[in-house]
Amino acid sequence: MNAASAVTVEHLVKRYGHLVAVNDVSLSIHEGEIFGIIGPNGAGKTTTVECISGLRAPDSGSISVYGLSPQKDRNKIRDFVGVQLQESALPPRLKVGEAVRLFASFYSNPLDPDQLLESLGIKQIVNSSFKNLSGGQKQRVSVALALVGNPRLAILDELTTGLDPEARREIWSLIERMKDRGVTVILVTHFMDEAERLCDRLALISHGTVIELDTPEAIAAKAGGSRVRFVPSQPVDEQTLRAIPGVTEIERKEKYVTVTGSGDLAGALMNALAAIGVRVSDVEARTGNLEDAFIKLTKDDASSFGKGVQI
Amino acid sequence: MTGSRLEWMSRRSRAQFAELLKVQSKLALREPYALFGGLALPAVLLAVFGFIGQANPGNVGSTGLTIIDVWTPTILVLSIIFISVSLPNTLVRDREIGWLRRVSTTPLHPSRLLAAQLVIDLILAAAAVLIVILEGALVFGASLHMQILPFAVSLLLSIVELFSFGLVLVALVPTQAVAQPVAGVATFGLMFLSGLWVNPAQVGDPLQTIMYYSPSGAAVRAVLDSAFNGGPSYAALLTMAVYTVIFGFIAIRYFRWE
Repeated sequence: MNAASAVTVEHLVKRYGHLVAVNDVSLSIHEGEIFGIIGPNGAGKTTTVECISGLRAPDSGSISVYGLSPQKDRNKIRDFVGVQLQESALPPRLKVGEAVRLFASFYSNPLDPDQLLESLGIKQIVNSSFKNLSGGQKQRVSVALALVGNPRLAILDELTTGLDPEARREIWSLIERMKDRGVTVILVTHFMDEAERLCDRLALISHGTVIELDTPEAIAAKAGGSRVRFVPSQPVDEQTLRAIPGVTEIERKEKYVTVTGSGDLAGALMNALAAIGVRVSDVEARTGNLEDAFIKLTKDDASSFGKGVQI
Repeated sequence: MTGSRLEWMSRRSRAQFAELLKVQSKLALREPYALFGGLALPAVLLAVFGFIGQANPGNVGSTGLTIIDVWTPTILVLSIIFISVSLPNTLVRDREIGWLRRVSTTPLHPSRLLAAQLVIDLILAAAAVLIVILEGALVFGASLHMQILPFAVSLLLSIVELFSFGLVLVALVPTQAVAQPVAGVATFGLMFLSGLWVNPAQVGDPLQTIMYYSPSGAAVRAVLDSAFNGGPSYAALLTMAVYTVIFGFIAIRYFRWE
């Protein structure tokens, strides 16, 4: 039995003139999960969430948000969907408290603005003008505006772009707290560490199509496993290495040997080399992560895609 | 049931609009383009002409009017022009930075934001009219023998016409950087056509006709005539009405929220 579906997108297509931004995207987002949308620049991530939030009308396909249509039930949906847009600023002289109170007045069942600002850790800037805020503060205000309507669904588009690592981590814990409160979150990002850490499930979009939809771990596993780099105490020939179970690729550079493969690669490698009396030093092992998978999968997709998205 | 729901909706949307008005007025005070152009500049201009008038008593040409009499209506229209051309300053910026789009993701339609801005500018225009009339009449002794109704109609039509012009700028100007010079040129053109530098009554055709049938020239003529000549000419009122329709059409046709 699946969890209740918060958002269902079926065969979504959106064109801008001759450019197909989204080409047959289908996905289902469960209630209460953090759903990530990742993909290369121009893959159609933002267009997809803009269609879900009702900012853009799809050319074809259907979208259901808690059973409602973003186009037909525009006003109802806006009352319980909070949106944080990529590259959206506030009037420079608008103060943080004014902006949040103003947005609260737009919704039928808003959160208390002061409590919200407190919980986001930005109570101290309530009287600051937007133009005087740091990047991290601006993003937190943007999150506050997306949340003040007490949404059931929050759509966050590239929330941490341009933030320093500390501010990013703060925003992450904020998103985790949103999930704890039962808010369904759609997170558009091009940071793989962010997707890996926060998202329950991910859709990898490339050239306007979903090419993977799974948990971050499952997608990462598709990167093809691990990589071990080491310096052998004496030269090891290629055949010996190839014979080790799981090894798929061998690369040599100066004194370093890099072996790529799957399974318990480092263990198998160490044992095999020890058996023939080769000692190793400077060992560096890395298991496949989402970033590897992302690069591999989008590259595969590009090479199989042919001549691009122009029609 | 339906009735109470409707009432609740309207009460909520009234509360929304009140909050919006409050915030937009605070912003208008912090970014006082309209405030400066609409209230301070005309007050100063009027004072300049007031002192010129005191230094040169007597009538202007054969009009039977003193300098301050002639200039008070012109400056009234000028203050409306200044407020109108300040519309793109805030609205084009708000669109450019994505604020209008941001608002459109909420239950509030961004047209309410536009409406709030217009209400504030309308209040400002009313204040400007009051200041200029009081300053002209009380401080410098302009003799406005106006008939209230035609005078009010002329002023109101001037405001609607020139605000529509401001909205055309908002609709057509793409960015804030472009808005500044465009608004500058538009202001200069409207000021010239209003007769600030050249009195249309004293120039020949075709300039006189052009000025009389320009958006600001027609406004000045209507206000001037209703202040001194018993009422505006239908030609001036009709001219403004036609401009209002044209500007309104262009503004609605080309307006973008993002």
